[in-house]
Amino acid sequence: MIERSPIFDFITYATMTLGLLLVLTPFWITFVAASQSLQEVSNVPIVLWPSSHLMENLNEAWTRADLGPKMINSLIVAVGVTVGKIVLASLSAFSIVFFNYRARMLCFWLIFVTLMLPLEVRIVPTYSIAANALLPFQVVLDTLGITGLVEMLSGLRIGLEWNLLNSHTGLILPLVATATGTFLYRQFFMTIPDELVEASKMDGSGPLRFFWDVLLPLSRTNMLALATILFVSSWNQYLWPLLITTDRANYGTVVMQLKALIPDTNGLPDWNVTMAGALIIMLPPLLIVAFMQRWFVRGLISRDK
Amino acid sequence: MERRAYYRNGTLPWLLIAPQLLLVLVFFYWPTAQALYWAFTLEQAWGGGNSWVGLDNFLSIFRDREYWTTVARSAFYASLTTGLSMTVALTLAVFVDRALKGTRLFQSVFVWPYAIAAPAAGVAFRFIFAPESGLVGSINELWPGIWNPAINGFQALAMVIMCHAWLGIGYNFIFFLAALQMIPRSITEAGAMDGARPYQRMFDLQLPLIAPTVFFLLIINLISSFTDSFGIIDTMTEGGPVGSTEVMVYKIYFDGFKGLDYSGAAAQSIVLMLLVIALTFVQFKWVEKRVHYN
Amino acid sequence: MTRTRLLSAATTIAALALATAPAMAQTKFEFWYGLSGDLSERIQDMCKDFNASQADYEIVCISQDNYDANLQNTIAAYRANKHPTITQIFDAGTLDLMLSKAYIPVGQLMSENGYDVNWVDYFSGIASYYSTSGGELLSMPFNSSTAMIYYNMDALAKVGFEGKPTTWTEVEDVARKMKAAGYECPVAFDPAGVWQWYEQFSAIHNQPIATKGNGFGGLDAEMAASQGLWVDQLTWIKKMYDEGLFVHKSKDVGETDLDAFAAGNCQVFSGSIASHGTVTAKAVEGLNWDVAMLPVLEGTERTNSLVGGASLWTLQGKSAEEYKGAAAFFAFLATPEQAEWWSTVTGYIPVTNSGFEAMTANGFYAAAPYKGRELAIASLIATPPTENTRGIRLGNYASIRAEMVKTIQDVLFNNADVKESLVAFDAKGNEILRRFQATYKDAVLP
Repeated sequence: MIERSPIFDFITYATMTLGLLLVLTPFWITFVAASQSLQEVSNVPIVLWPSSHLMENLNEAWTRADLGPKMINSLIVAVGVTVGKIVLASLSAFSIVFFNYRARMLCFWLIFVTLMLPLEVRIVPTYSIAANALLPFQVVLDTLGITGLVEMLSGLRIGLEWNLLNSHTGLILPLVATATGTFLYRQFFMTIPDELVEASKMDGSGPLRFFWDVLLPLSRTNMLALATILFVSSWNQYLWPLLITTDRANYGTVVMQLKALIPDTNGLPDWNVTMAGALIIMLPPLLIVAFMQRWFVRGLISRDK
Repeated sequence: MERRAYYRNGTLPWLLIAPQLLLVLVFFYWPTAQALYWAFTLEQAWGGGNSWVGLDNFLSIFRDREYWTTVARSAFYASLTTGLSMTVALTLAVFVDRALKGTRLFQSVFVWPYAIAAPAAGVAFRFIFAPESGLVGSINELWPGIWNPAINGFQALAMVIMCHAWLGIGYNFIFFLAALQMIPRSITEAGAMDGARPYQRMFDLQLPLIAPTVFFLLIINLISSFTDSFGIIDTMTEGGPVGSTEVMVYKIYFDGFKGLDYSGAAAQSIVLMLLVIALTFVQFKWVEKRVHYN
Repeated sequence: MTRTRLLSAATTIAALALATAPAMAQTKFEFWYGLSGDLSERIQDMCKDFNASQADYEIVCISQDNYDANLQNTIAAYRANKHPTITQIFDAGTLDLMLSKAYIPVGQLMSENGYDVNWVDYFSGIASYYSTSGGELLSMPFNSSTAMIYYNMDALAKVGFEGKPTTWTEVEDVARKMKAAGYECPVAFDPAGVWQWYEQFSAIHNQPIATKGNGFGGLDAEMAASQGLWVDQLTWIKKMYDEGLFVHKSKDVGETDLDAFAAGNCQVFSGSIASHGTVTAKAVEGLNWDVAMLPVLEGTERTNSLVGGASLWTLQGKSAEEYKGAAAFFAFLATPEQAEWWSTVTGYIPVTNSGFEAMTANGFYAAAPYKGRELAIASLIATPPTENTRGIRLGNYASIRAEMVKTIQDVLFNNADVKESLVAFDAKGNEILRRFQATYKDAVLP
């Protein structure tokens, strides 16, 4: 603070309080509705104070949308994407920043361009690739004539097939195939002074050793930030799981279940159960963001897409 | 910044980068290439084959008045969502930046919307705006029938836009606050000594200094409103009533997967891709310039 | 042809080892369907009964929530070679299946597996919907229905109407009187109910939905919604809506037409005969209701209504054993006991003459709660099928239906001009049809 200005301070608090209301109202309403009975939630106008039915509504939503196994699926996907991306991104960024080979920049751009097109705009063909992820290789083998050659020599026809529909792998891999993490790691690795590399070389340790002993410990903060962002965004995925999962009972994620909770099929406007479900589904990423805030804010900003 | 110290190794860097390259090739380049191919063919829904039709798919979407309505609607949706979300976030960030007592509490709450899944917010907002429920719907008690997004397309669109804008507040707030906090103290102090009132300093000093962030967020928000709206619309309106909330992404999904017209959807995807690429390109150009400044 | 599955080789081997272990393994096969809620439960019961009835096959029945999603998911799975043996496809998807080359005709399936089915026994209206022009039945008729109208008899009595209205003029009359008598919602109307309000209306008034006998005559058919009686009917619906005699009830406003009727909030609604069981189950205590054939316009003769619902398609690319199982399942469905059970618990009509006669003979339709369901049959066989009432054979018809929903919404909510909107609808529909035709340009209608 530079100088006192009581009027302006008042305006500051007033605006921030307004903002608080704006941001919190949807949460509050979700919570309040989730705690009311069917009759209370149908009141016009609604009472904006919690009632006593929270547990039973949570219970009902949990069973109706079969959230138990869906939670596990969501967790598998979120953790899978997070871990997968961090591992791949740190390795590829390491390769791009600390090695000098001719195709270096080409590789970087190949990966970087993926930032431009979100999954949503190439959803139709990505979906078809998920039916057989090895198709590109099959086509390559076919066009190069390798398939024919092998068939002639051994009598066996190469038919590569790897179906990703209805599998955790299928839910995870396409989400891993973007550049967010790579870019973040690259930006960070660029700030590592050359002296550190030289010193490590002097000690006689190889690149992998340097990666493991020096780089990884140094990038712990970045990793936490990235992990938070990735976990939240993959937990919240909707369109992709919706398309790739025809076997919802076994591979559905919680976010997909939201629509099944909207009252229309059962004939009762039981928004209290819907809101209870929404509450359960919102909670894990919200907790992570609330607790990891310090880390992930830094990560978001340094990503500078 | 160019690095001088490198490791030399023939195969190791390739091994390190191979997994990521493979994934990107399989799940990005191949599908994108295929989208291109499909956009020029008519693909049978059951995969029985396809035939080359040249530019027909593009011509037929460009000739379709409804498609242009969708494009215009998406542009309207994107600008309004972006404008609303950024204005609210910037206002909050500016005041939080004054760092008065107790600001931390506000600051952490303002980030929360970032954590919420679009469809979850969609469901919550749908309840808030439902004509039969006792929130916004209460207004119907006073003026019967005045609020009904189920039949009023304009209200439906407004409701969806508000939800999307709300979701963006957290992300925008973080960036604005960070940018504001990076403004050197000395500058604001100098302003204060010159006798500039706090609000004057906001407009005359802080805003121009965070212009790059404003621009960056503008592009990011526009792209996100073009591409991330699916979850909100699918849970709130499913594109209705009378298609009044059907934006480009939703139409691609609907025509492709519900309407079984993969080729038409692929052509629409290409158009959306070009749009997003154009926006990104503008951003890159700008970012480059900013780097030169530094 | 050997398939090398790079990554799952190990698991495949393990699975093979397991699969060969028991000497008499059951053949497992999948059946996907597009019903949810109560109807889904009934299908699960049916699958359990089938599995209990024999030891050779095990059917796994999976709900995909709704018809649209089931068609979409079946296609996705088919393209990925992960499809079920049997899938349930709704009326609007019939032509899409017919041209797909993805199915095995049910007649062929049954005869190859040694079942002798009396196909002539199937109601002609139902059989013709799922048959080639040569009369070969391609899919197994399963859940068949037609559109009806449901009345609250107490409300009718209160406004002094005896019996049930049979013309739309009478409906208008009672609706007006109901409104005057203080009923807030005389008739529930869902704009998404294109099937009952538009398609069935066209059928019972012998109006074409498209040229070439609704597409039976070739892929070059054109939409005809803006040329017939439907223009007047939609104008009338708009008038009723504006006067508050028709009230918008759908999931968008939080209460469906059926729910509004069952709760006593609305006094009339139009829907499938398959809802008969649901209305029975959901009706509030003391609701005095009945079902009737769809009303006709004053001074017109009724022709037969269209069969709705869905049929079961057997998909290509499965083993002989699985096809044996599928045939056994179809044979199981066709047994008189099973057919009667299905019809009883749901409201779907029996699909064979003999089934219907047997149920009539044992007094099924004589008393509540099933009384009235026979009217669906009466509606379906009111006249021999004409050019316009055989069915609808239009490509990608689900999309065209979606366009009609938009058109009706536009007329009701945005006061769009009826004639203009329907002309625009026809144009849009034709575009979809031409696209379909171009996609299957070498195909001929089977």
